[in-house]
Amino acid sequence: MAEQPRIGVDEWVAQAEERRARTVAARLGDLLDRVPPALRLLAIALPLALYPVFVDSEYLMQVGIDTLIFVLLALGLNVAVGWVGLLDLGFVAFFGLGAYLYTALASEYAGRHWDAQFAIPLIAVVVGVTGFVLGLTSKRLLGDYLAIVTLFFLQIYLVILINSSFTRGPNGISSVLPLEFFGKQVTSLDGYFYVSLVVFVVVVAVLYLINQSRTGRAWRALREDELAAELMTMPVDRLKLMAFAFGAGVAGVAGAIFAPIQGAVFPANFDIVLLITVYAMVVLGGAGSLLGVTVGAVLINASLEALRSPEDASWLFYGVLVVTLLVMLRPWWRGPAVIAATIAFGVVAHEAAGQVRASLVGGTSFGEARIDHLVDTWVLLPENVVTPDGLPTGALGRLAYIGFIAAVLGLTLVRSSLWRTVGLVPVLYLAACVWENLLVAQPAVARFVLIGAMLVALMAFRPQGLFGKQRVEIV
Amino acid sequence: MAVEATPLLEVRDISLSFGGLRCLNELDLVVNEGEIVSVIGPNGAGKTTLFNVITGVYPPDEGEILLEGRSVLGVDPHQIARRGVARTFQTLRLFLNMTVKENVMAAAYGHTKAGVLRSVLRTPGMRREEREIEGLAEERLGFFGQRLVGYRWNQPAYSLSYANRRRLEIARATAANPQLLLLDEPAAGMNPVETHEMTELIGRLREEGGYTILVIEHDMHVVEGISDRVVALDHGVKIAEGTFEQVATDPRVVEAYLGTSAAERT
Repeated sequence: MAEQPRIGVDEWVAQAEERRARTVAARLGDLLDRVPPALRLLAIALPLALYPVFVDSEYLMQVGIDTLIFVLLALGLNVAVGWVGLLDLGFVAFFGLGAYLYTALASEYAGRHWDAQFAIPLIAVVVGVTGFVLGLTSKRLLGDYLAIVTLFFLQIYLVILINSSFTRGPNGISSVLPLEFFGKQVTSLDGYFYVSLVVFVVVVAVLYLINQSRTGRAWRALREDELAAELMTMPVDRLKLMAFAFGAGVAGVAGAIFAPIQGAVFPANFDIVLLITVYAMVVLGGAGSLLGVTVGAVLINASLEALRSPEDASWLFYGVLVVTLLVMLRPWWRGPAVIAATIAFGVVAHEAAGQVRASLVGGTSFGEARIDHLVDTWVLLPENVVTPDGLPTGALGRLAYIGFIAAVLGLTLVRSSLWRTVGLVPVLYLAACVWENLLVAQPAVARFVLIGAMLVALMAFRPQGLFGKQRVEIV
Repeated sequence: MAVEATPLLEVRDISLSFGGLRCLNELDLVVNEGEIVSVIGPNGAGKTTLFNVITGVYPPDEGEILLEGRSVLGVDPHQIARRGVARTFQTLRLFLNMTVKENVMAAAYGHTKAGVLRSVLRTPGMRREEREIEGLAEERLGFFGQRLVGYRWNQPAYSLSYANRRRLEIARATAANPQLLLLDEPAAGMNPVETHEMTELIGRLREEGGYTILVIEHDMHVVEGISDRVVALDHGVKIAEGTFEQVATDPRVVEAYLGTSAAERT
């Protein structure tokens, strides 16, 4: 091209390297980028391998295994949702299918006990093929239509599980036999943890390699622009079916591990709540990023577990609030100021309410953590907040809840940033009242309120998810 | 330009309606191998629709389309693309969130083979193929001088300027290894210098790439500079065909562009 020096010569572009900012963070980022992917996977897997060594509690081991299963589910969902951009709402049906298939291959009920080294690959293939068949609908259905049809598929699947005699209906099948590799049974939780970890490493490696190949490139291309991809020689329909099949296969494997761990399978294991949780993991971590969805699954499952005990839940609740305020409010002194003002506001309100009627402030929090005793001095807690059977009477909590919603809505209408910050004070106070009077005693509700709050905050400040890449849609 | 008259693309009697609107009406068009043919016409004349019919996006209501003598009707668009038809888009449809190089590499899908299993196993053949299409992408991007090389390779496509996006679309289309290149307004939105550059580039595409080119263009300087033959459309009907001079002075073309009274005045 030397004979045509004027065309396309662009000094500004040619000097790009010299103009790049050389900050420490940028250099560190470059350095991290140069770490080979295999090493990165090892850096995640090795510390995880030590988890059973340091953890004695059976409960924590169970949580660790559940988390890995959730990670597998999130990785599987990420294929169709994150890479290809198909809204697949039938996903957990594949998880259920994997679990029931394992039950059919290895349970006292079925009268068989297949070795896992045969059962798991077979299940992966069968569920993958099922995903392929379900994916056939995607040939004709786009966007919302696909979402509705796949959701129907999940519902049909659940209805069959619940009503068919073969699956024993809602009672499930409770004689699932443990995994057995080459005649050796996996009996301990540690063993199941390592099996899950190995499967995790294999799945991540396979998905990474596919994503780095021409298939992965085509998947991303068709998410960006289906028509352009088709006209650039990519068979869009077939690629979508492949994505469905791979995601389903991963879910099937997760199911095949889940069934023997639980030792039983029930239709209720595979309902819409699970679907929403897995979606939340993918969205929170950043759809499209393997590391992201892994972290998302770990974070959400850990938070859900933490919320089981009121003590941890309170720490989580107040911790998230304080951190959010400190990080989000600018300039820096507004965060601490809002917290101090909220407590001051609370103390005054507490005192005033005490003057009016002593019983308004006579109660103690349901929560056991030190922080709950701390807030007793400034959050309104009426006497008998907890009935003898452990449930909050909660009239004040419900009032505060209504007030809280109204205040948040009102706050969104305030334009001035200063007044919005001031308005945060009563909102936070009401939030604390709702928490102490209602939610702390009802972890089942609090869990989903918390997930909702996490997603709302994420939407506002990092819509692409924790590790997701910001997508640009505007030309 | 003496060209051997082997027809590469034959469009015969194509008609297409959307509801009551007739977009293409018994349209005939032949593009010979090695030719550069321009399609002109006022907005809404059916030029882009013609491209959409050729590439299989819309099946025509009537008529026949032959590529190297074989019909492409009813063939999936990606199969038509694999048989050697690649296009750019008037409205720019890049894979915005992929890198510049990936945009081009993605279009090599049709003539690469590595399946999922080989990709997971990273077989030597798969690695070689990856290296090849990476080299192909770098070469195709190098066609535009330094504008799309070096650090630009790993930048997302959305970071490119408008003119560079147009260039990237052309690079992506050529990576599909087409025989026939359909360019939909390649010089739209470019400044006079860039427009001039594009004129040279289209010539070089034929000389160096060996592509047969069908191009929609509004800029008459470009059309004059590149075309072996010009076809004028209006309301989905071919109203003139011939050399640039013949078409530019055809009263029906002048009428289509400027209205009846202007045509009468000439």
